Amino acid sequence: MDEAAIRTEGLTKRYGDTLALDGLELDVRPGEVYGFLGPNGAGKTTTIRLLLGLHKPTAGRAFLFGVDAWRDPVAAHRRAAYVAGEPFLWPALTGAETLTYLARLRGSTDTAYRDVLVDRFQLDTEKRVRALSKGNRQKVQLVAAFATRADLLLLDEPTAGLDPLMEVAFRATVLEAKERGQTVFLSSHILSEVEALCDRVGILRRGRLVDQGTLDELRHLSAQAIEVTFEGPAPELPPLAGVHVDRAGPQALRFEVTGSVGPLLEALAPHRVVALTSREPSLEEIFLHHYDAADGRV
Amino acid sequence: MSDAARAFARRTLADSRVRTLSFAAFFAVIAAVNVVGYRKTYPTVADRIRFAVGFGANKSIRLFYGVPHDLLSVGGYAAWRVGGTLSIAAAVWGVLAAVRAMRAEEDAGRQELVLAGAIGRRGAFVAQLAAIATGTVVLWLAMFVGLAAAKLPAGGSAYLALAVVSVVPVFVGVGAVASQVAPTRRLALGIGSGVVAVAYVLRVVADTSSGLEALRWATPLGWVEELRAFASPRPAVLLLPLVATVALLAATWSIAKRRDIGAGLFYAHDRAEPRDRLLGSPTAQALRGERGILAAWVLGIAAFSFILGVIANSISTADFPESLREQLEKLGLSSVMTPSGYLSFTFLFFVFAIGLFACSQAAATRREEAEQLLETLLALPVGRRRWLGGRIVLAAGVCVALALLAGVCAWAGAASQSADVTFGGMLGAGANCLPAALLFLGVGMLAFAAVPRATAALAYGLAALAFVWELFGSVLGAPSWVLNLSPFHHIGLVPAQPFRPGAAAVMLAVALACAAASLVVFERRDLTGP
Repeated sequence: MDEAAIRTEGLTKRYGDTLALDGLELDVRPGEVYGFLGPNGAGKTTTIRLLLGLHKPTAGRAFLFGVDAWRDPVAAHRRAAYVAGEPFLWPALTGAETLTYLARLRGSTDTAYRDVLVDRFQLDTEKRVRALSKGNRQKVQLVAAFATRADLLLLDEPTAGLDPLMEVAFRATVLEAKERGQTVFLSSHILSEVEALCDRVGILRRGRLVDQGTLDELRHLSAQAIEVTFEGPAPELPPLAGVHVDRAGPQALRFEVTGSVGPLLEALAPHRVVALTSREPSLEEIFLHHYDAADGRV
Repeated sequence: MSDAARAFARRTLADSRVRTLSFAAFFAVIAAVNVVGYRKTYPTVADRIRFAVGFGANKSIRLFYGVPHDLLSVGGYAAWRVGGTLSIAAAVWGVLAAVRAMRAEEDAGRQELVLAGAIGRRGAFVAQLAAIATGTVVLWLAMFVGLAAAKLPAGGSAYLALAVVSVVPVFVGVGAVASQVAPTRRLALGIGSGVVAVAYVLRVVADTSSGLEALRWATPLGWVEELRAFASPRPAVLLLPLVATVALLAATWSIAKRRDIGAGLFYAHDRAEPRDRLLGSPTAQALRGERGILAAWVLGIAAFSFILGVIANSISTADFPESLREQLEKLGLSSVMTPSGYLSFTFLFFVFAIGLFACSQAAATRREEAEQLLETLLALPVGRRRWLGGRIVLAAGVCVALALLAGVCAWAGAASQSADVTFGGMLGAGANCLPAALLFLGVGMLAFAAVPRATAALAYGLAALAFVWELFGSVLGAPSWVLNLSPFHHIGLVPAQPFRPGAAAVMLAVALACAAASLVVFERRDLTGP
């Protein structure tokens, strides 16, 4: 089947005066791990609520495997599992009871794999949810969602509250899911996590998708970082289009170059350069570029 | 108090403003309407003597209002009728206010934030009490204004209002201790309401059983009676609520200062072997989650209807002159004076009680959404219609069970005294509660679907309004179209009066329409957070 795992068409959501999501076009292919990046309040959770049909789109539509999420949420959810950013579970149930309940509501679950996950995440299933820390409640949700083996996993900042060991377990679990051909939609603002796991990344700002592509594609479009060390004190260079300069030390300058590096090299030619290093921008730099460049912080 | 503590006290007060203002309005209206109604219905001394002879001796009426000390004066009537009912409402307010301030916030995890700031435990405790005290003064003022507006003397009105409000601090103390002992808001409320129920039952026993009058001193609701407003006031009795309050608050503080935040006095059982019953569907799980509350309702309804059944036999028309019966007819109580007639009338109370249960179910439905558990549920392959429909069916089923239980237990109580009451008749009386109660359920669920954040306020508000409307509309001689607005006005007093199938059918049809509409409307809206 070559139907998109997630497809949105002009998906828009307005809450009163606030435009939370503005004409979102998403196309997540089956089997891919898609990173959905954005700072707090950019519209990530709104997007997921619309993808799940929990909120009604003001305009546009969202489809999971071709099923309209608002019109037929039950059918849409049969192939999707969800992990919320805030783990809201039933305080009086124990972890084990919660897993049983969630599995029964879903209709099917891979109990053998669930036991593996309970071990991997070191989940104490005899404890009542109300006695669990946020991280532990998060683990209950993760175990329940991954154990369903659902075709699509919608994860909303799933590792908030997890310790570094559990973060490792989480990454291993996502990669397992990917190997099995499951699709993962990972909303996050933990860039290292996205960089490590995702095939493609979308960057959301103020409800709009401002960039999308593989990491390589994003890098290509983004600024390149070049650091130059001079023999003497760093010189003053004339302003150059598409080049942003920062001081990196008494004898060093740091350039962020969008587009061709030719003009910069010409400007450097008259000076005595000791060292020149260039590296690809990290996802963090790409991300900050999108947020700082246009109009400051969101 | 420090600035921080003052800010916290203001926040605590603001948290409960809707509830406090609703209670205040209720107090003012009940106080004024009763006084005006009495003057209108019994204008002459002769009328009042007849009324006093008839009602003063009537145990079944005492059940609701307590024991009268002077029924010949307007003030004495108000002290009995208004004092008897509002002191129960005041007790409920006290428990609600204390649990809200001292446990609900903590249960929600917000109290940690407060105590992490510039406020210590002692400061927070004092600020909570200050906020509740302010609310108590508002209640006192509302009742005083209601009585004074109905032209009762200011001094006596102030004293009667004080007598009624004197139960508030005691039950604030009860709620406060419960909030320390219980680790959850729910359990604290359960303990608090249980104590209110016991206090009420003690008053009922003291007021209706000869030889047990001394029990009145064992309940704060009895102290209100012994304060004897507008009869021969005994302000020294105020020492009792004072001492009780100080003792309860001292106990509260002694627990509060040594326990962990977020925990109760005893650690809850946080580990358990899995029990997988009632986890097959959202409806089953709701039943599992609410089972403690349901058990309390079943017990409460069963006990109260049994007591009513037992007491019904003390009714007799033999003592009443013809003229009194005319007076009763004016009140719409003409058939009250047989055991079966009395029970028919008092079953209006169960319509209201089961209606309140229905409202509580609408409120619980909303709480599930506000606590965002619904988001977890509806992200699964669980349809909105299936979820809400299940909640409605569950609530309706419990309403039916409670109504029939009330009928059966009232019959059992009456039969134990060999009263002339049939099983079928009382089962009918129970079933007769259902159309109106289900109507409130439908309206409450529609409120949930259409205006989720106002669910509880609308559901409880409309049920209380309908009840008060009927209770006082007739006393005040309101025109029939006004009275007709309340569902209570359309209920035949089964078995004494014939069942009114037309009215019942209309109420059930409206209930069904509201329930159906709620399913449709709920499918069209966003899930709404707290």
